[in-house]
Amino acid sequence: MRSALFGFGARETTLLAACIVAFAVFALASPYFATTDNLLTILRNSNELLFLSLGMTLLLAMADVDVSVGVTMGLAAIAVGQALQGGWPPLLAGLLGPIAGAALGLVTASVVVLGRIPAIVGTLGLFGVYRAAIFLALGGSWLSGIPDGLTRVLGARPLGVPVAIIVVLIAYGCVWVLLRRTPFGPHLLAIGGSEERARLSGVAVKRTRFATFVVNGILCGVAASFYVATYRNVATTIGGALALEAIAATALGGTSITGGRCSLLGTAIGVVLLRLLQNGLLLMGVPSLWQSVVTGGLLLGVLAFEVLSERVALARLNIWARAAS
Amino acid sequence: MSLLSFAAKQPPALPILVGLWIVVVIGLAALNPSAFSLFTVTTVLQFSTLLALVALGQTLVVLCGGAGIDLSVGGATSLSAVMAMLCVKGGLPGAFVLLACLLCGAILGLINGILVTRLRILPLIATLGTFYIYSGLALSLTGGAAQSGVPLWLVPWGRGVIHGLPLPFLTLALPAYLVAGLLLGWSSWGRWIFALGYNERSARLVGIPVDRVRLIAYALSGLLAGTAALVSLAWLGSGRPNIGDNLELTSLTGAMLGGVSIFGGRGSVAGVMAAVLLLVTFQTALLQLNINTIWQVGLIGALLIAVLLADRFSTRRR
Repeated sequence: MRSALFGFGARETTLLAACIVAFAVFALASPYFATTDNLLTILRNSNELLFLSLGMTLLLAMADVDVSVGVTMGLAAIAVGQALQGGWPPLLAGLLGPIAGAALGLVTASVVVLGRIPAIVGTLGLFGVYRAAIFLALGGSWLSGIPDGLTRVLGARPLGVPVAIIVVLIAYGCVWVLLRRTPFGPHLLAIGGSEERARLSGVAVKRTRFATFVVNGILCGVAASFYVATYRNVATTIGGALALEAIAATALGGTSITGGRCSLLGTAIGVVLLRLLQNGLLLMGVPSLWQSVVTGGLLLGVLAFEVLSERVALARLNIWARAAS
Repeated sequence: MSLLSFAAKQPPALPILVGLWIVVVIGLAALNPSAFSLFTVTTVLQFSTLLALVALGQTLVVLCGGAGIDLSVGGATSLSAVMAMLCVKGGLPGAFVLLACLLCGAILGLINGILVTRLRILPLIATLGTFYIYSGLALSLTGGAAQSGVPLWLVPWGRGVIHGLPLPFLTLALPAYLVAGLLLGWSSWGRWIFALGYNERSARLVGIPVDRVRLIAYALSGLLAGTAALVSLAWLGSGRPNIGDNLELTSLTGAMLGGVSIFGGRGSVAGVMAAVLLLVTFQTALLQLNINTIWQVGLIGALLIAVLLADRFSTRRR
């Protein structure tokens, strides 16, 4: 269980190697790439995706999925932005993000778990509903010129470490504890392995799924607070592609939809690799239209590479076994 | 399989769909009586053709089970349209457009099928990856600009109307649904699809070539996306790199609304056609009433959830 959950396995090694290679190539190609400024930019761009992918990791490990995480974040971001414009103290407004996220997570959980609608279909419907809700809440225009109170809080760097990194570490740490030190982790993976078998062995399937969707909502809300702090505006198109990117990063990280396998570290490296590549290619002058081709190619490339290398290893094993006998 | 048992396969959602459709039509009639004309019928069917073709492919893939889903249909449609136009620009004869669209679509679908059945990558992830690649390629190969140069003889067919029925709908969408319905209901391939969607293990044990059937389902989905690309070229007169945007979501909504089970093995093409017509009628009605397009997305999402909930509770009662 330990190695399946948290070990530094083959996938993490592959991804880290890919990160290092990409870093070296970009650093050689562009003198600006390896500067502290640019690295902090990459980190800032990864921020929301790190939170969304953390929730997605939990959901995928449970054989569920949520394609509405991007717009859930968008709705929570509107709440935070309007609170800030309404003159709320920054800290309170920042906390409103996770609270709004939890409320939206409750809605999603009710539809998917209590309504017994398959997650992919239910959240697809909610994607549309939330999208329209964003439009309704914004009245067709952007929310812009948001006061920078929250930016000063969440953009601060106590002892030189950005608050964003601290919060990411705390979030990943909390989820790690939740998975490792409470029954939640084994239950999650058991449901991912087989919902029926998990139920028969006494796992409270409904409760666990419900709770996970709410946790996912809270993480979307945290992402929303950081989004507002960083960009200080909310557009009607917010979060459109983020859900797919979160699924891609999580799958890259080695979390399997069917196997009841999840890796928090893999997810984090997956997100950083994704953003690193996007940033590096942009610096090298590749038009941003190619970004999605790179994302898709990376995702399928890593997965295909692993499948094929496993098969080669298996074939070698067979040859040895035959030679030995 | 007799006609009766085929009829019994109709999803419970079908009466709900028809009821909703009547509500939409009556609502439109009450709010804007002048919207009713033969022209409206033509418009609805014209817009339905693209979605109907793509949703049929989506349906085949989902029916095959094994968590089957094709998120790349929109990207495949865009890329097929763009590739066909690039072929023409490259100096190939205009007649080649037909072949290029279909061939490109089929190849893109085949790639999905190989990823899923040979490399055993989960359909959701595999087609998510190809969705990125296909739609990204369509955009980056053209720089986002529409590609002109569709052969002139294609346009009269794309925009033609007979008795208020658009030609592409009559000559492509309708036959495609008829053939698919016949194949699913009366051929061994159709029964195989239902069988392996319903219970893959049993299907394997009785010797159904599960992987081959699935591979073909994905290839067909790509082929239908290519057909949709052809319709878009003939209708709009240019190859737009964003023609397939959101088709993955709407086609999946169409299939689900039409009563296709996301787990496979249950559903009918008649239901999907009804759902597609409902969706497009709904969109057209909102358009006639001058309601912003973003509302369509929200209302379609709400509709999807509502129909599934109604379906769920009605089956529970039985």
